[in-house]
Amino acid sequence: MTAPDTSSIASVSVPDMPLPPARGLVLWRRFRRNRAALLGLILFVVVVLMAALADVVTPGDPLRNAGPPLTAPLVLAANPLGTDQLGRDIMAGIFHGARISLVIGVVATLISIVIGIVIGAVAGYFGGKIDGALMRVTEAFQTIPSFILLLTLVAIFGSSIQNIVIAIGIVSWTAPARMVRAEFMSLRQREFVDAARNLGVSDLSIIFREILPNALPPVIVFASVVMATSILMESALAFLGLGDPNYASWGNMIGQGRAVLRTAWFCSVIPGVAILLTVLSFSLMGEGLNDALNPRQKK
Amino acid sequence: MTGERKTILDVRDLQIVLPAGGDRAYALSDFSLTVGEGEIVCLVGESGSGKSLAANAVMRLLPEPHVRVSRGTIRLDGQDLLALPEADMRAIRGDRMAMIFQEPMTALNPQKSVGWQIDEVLKLHTRLSKAERKARTLEILGDVHIPDPASTYNAYPHQISGGQRQRVMIAMALVLKPQLIIADEPTTALDVTTQKQILKLIKDLQQAQGTGILFITHDFGVVAEIADRIAVLRLGEMVEQGPASQILLNPQHPYTQKLIAAVPALTPPPAKPVSNEPVVLEAKNLCKTFAARGGFLSGKRDPVMAVKDLSFQLRRGETLGVVGESGSGKTTVSRIVTRLLESDSGEVRIDGRDLLSASRSELRALRKDIQMVFQDPMASLNPRRRVVELIAQGPIVQGVARDAAHARARELLSLVELPPAAAERYPHEFSGGQRQRIGIARALAMEPRVIVADEPVSALDVSVQAQVLKLLADLRDRLHLSLLFVTHDLRVAAQLCDKVIVMSKGEIVEAGPTAAVFATPQHPYTRALLDSIPGRDWEPPVRDVA
Repeated sequence: MTAPDTSSIASVSVPDMPLPPARGLVLWRRFRRNRAALLGLILFVVVVLMAALADVVTPGDPLRNAGPPLTAPLVLAANPLGTDQLGRDIMAGIFHGARISLVIGVVATLISIVIGIVIGAVAGYFGGKIDGALMRVTEAFQTIPSFILLLTLVAIFGSSIQNIVIAIGIVSWTAPARMVRAEFMSLRQREFVDAARNLGVSDLSIIFREILPNALPPVIVFASVVMATSILMESALAFLGLGDPNYASWGNMIGQGRAVLRTAWFCSVIPGVAILLTVLSFSLMGEGLNDALNPRQKK
Repeated sequence: MTGERKTILDVRDLQIVLPAGGDRAYALSDFSLTVGEGEIVCLVGESGSGKSLAANAVMRLLPEPHVRVSRGTIRLDGQDLLALPEADMRAIRGDRMAMIFQEPMTALNPQKSVGWQIDEVLKLHTRLSKAERKARTLEILGDVHIPDPASTYNAYPHQISGGQRQRVMIAMALVLKPQLIIADEPTTALDVTTQKQILKLIKDLQQAQGTGILFITHDFGVVAEIADRIAVLRLGEMVEQGPASQILLNPQHPYTQKLIAAVPALTPPPAKPVSNEPVVLEAKNLCKTFAARGGFLSGKRDPVMAVKDLSFQLRRGETLGVVGESGSGKTTVSRIVTRLLESDSGEVRIDGRDLLSASRSELRALRKDIQMVFQDPMASLNPRRRVVELIAQGPIVQGVARDAAHARARELLSLVELPPAAAERYPHEFSGGQRQRIGIARALAMEPRVIVADEPVSALDVSVQAQVLKLLADLRDRLHLSLLFVTHDLRVAAQLCDKVIVMSKGEIVEAGPTAAVFATPQHPYTRALLDSIPGRDWEPPVRDVA
């Protein structure tokens, strides 16, 4: 037996709680604990820097002839990563291509996530017939393989960079929509939603201000996957020769390098590695975000 | 009780370590307990006291290696369990000792028939032939008073009621006539009338077979009903242990005294004189039917009548209890009068204004007058909002300026006895009782006339329960609120409510002043309900607890 201690019963007061640290700081601390996520973040920063400094490091049009064709890497000081069959500098292509990849990754993901959230939230919150109708539409999109749909859209509307970004967004909203819907269906049963209704909060406000913040973390994590696949989709389009020919994109470079793969491997491998690392950085960061956004994790 | 019994279970100086970084280093320390043949030992404690871990340690079902026994011995009939290899332990589990779990629905495999699951126990531990096993299974199902053993044998868990599922669990535990049964809150998920039957069954079978039972519970009523000996656990430490009569009637340790004092007495306070205050909330002829949605191929099922022609009145400053078992429709009533659920017919008037036919904008204004405190304090607070935002949200929706609403929210925190620092925190940083206080503050922020409380204390430990109930009663009297209090716990209803309505299958079977209903129940159902309250014959010692 131990000394009588009644504090646990008698007191209800919260022992003077120190103010919680700022939310951003907490998130950063949790994120930082995941080593792989930090690596992802570093890679991501490198890609962003490459995009930002493209005009400084490799000024001029990346598509111009900048040296003798098919120079191997580390041979000429002017073309450290070599040149392709038209004499275009590969390093310039990589730096300028980072811009395209980032724009596509970010914008296409935003489009798909926003469509997905709206459709998923409305379907999950209201349920019934609205849900039925919206889910049939979603299924219609899901039954068509997304890349085929993408090819169709690009074939119809043309392969300008804007069209490609919008088309990628349109073909990849279904998975986020289903995810948001599932989250909403479980969250709308929770009593805090009833509590909000009982205070007179409107449906719209409940959807976007009460439930959505709770449903968002898995979606944000998933967004990193969508970003990675968006970049891959663009590369695949470019590989098939359907990319926007006016921009140096990594996919374009691989697609053109394919012709000389046996003799000049570096024309495709270098942009391939760039894609690999960028996609890897997104998925590693996604994992770190998963940890950071989990409120059950330590601070 | 007969003098010296053979000791079945002997636990000595048990210590269980928790993973580093938890709120304490040991889940249990210096835990010693014996269970004799034919003895029921109740292990009592609040949530987090380590009582379930103690049971799992005996069964060697701890989530090792994070949580493991670091010291001590556990002997079953003289055999050291901690030294046994896992294969031998498997042979002992289910054979010489068995466990009954809290939630019979999740403890039974939903894919297999009841008979199959009992048969499996026999198949694993005996060499009986198929026919013998079936005969034994039917016999044990009969022993636990399952109405029709032959048809239950082929039934799946979801096809039988909760009480019957628990009987099946007990049958499974008893089929091999174990020396020791560990029952972890076996009746917590059941209604009182079912609970009474199950407790009686456990006690009868145990007496017939001479099994030792380690019965884990948080409910002193159940303890009073069943225990031979009682051990009280607090935060992993045994505070008191002794014969049931001694602990129940003359507890020595202050913690035990407080726990027992927190159990609401069953005798309601004397009835107040009939109130002449105006009627604030009136419900007339409410009906609600839930249409059961038939599956694609399964055809249509019968709709369920949740509430049938229900009427009541609630006067200012009064507390009306709505009591009943699960499925009686009491929660449906609470959701209809707050219009979280649409009623099929009938009317609800708040101060004479009709709630059910109110338009969207009228409804928003009316909601101000009727607020709700929810059952689950974890689920009813949005985890992404700070406490001050949670409390101020209602007034802001109603058009109060943000700063004013926040200032008022901070005042309300002190009204519900929370420190001002609580305002900036998130709900998960609080304990269950504190969260329920936040829920109450949120309801009060709207300055309502009526508060509907749906089982507001059923998720809380008894000691916390008592504090929250006291707070509700205080606030009701100070702010002249009316309270519609939905509960399954008759002890709680007895303490708090001026009047009660007793519901069964969607209908009011009895209504009246609490004191009268409890003293002279008219309807057989009310009588059965009152009769089933665990520990009704036990009068907790009244003492002054500071």
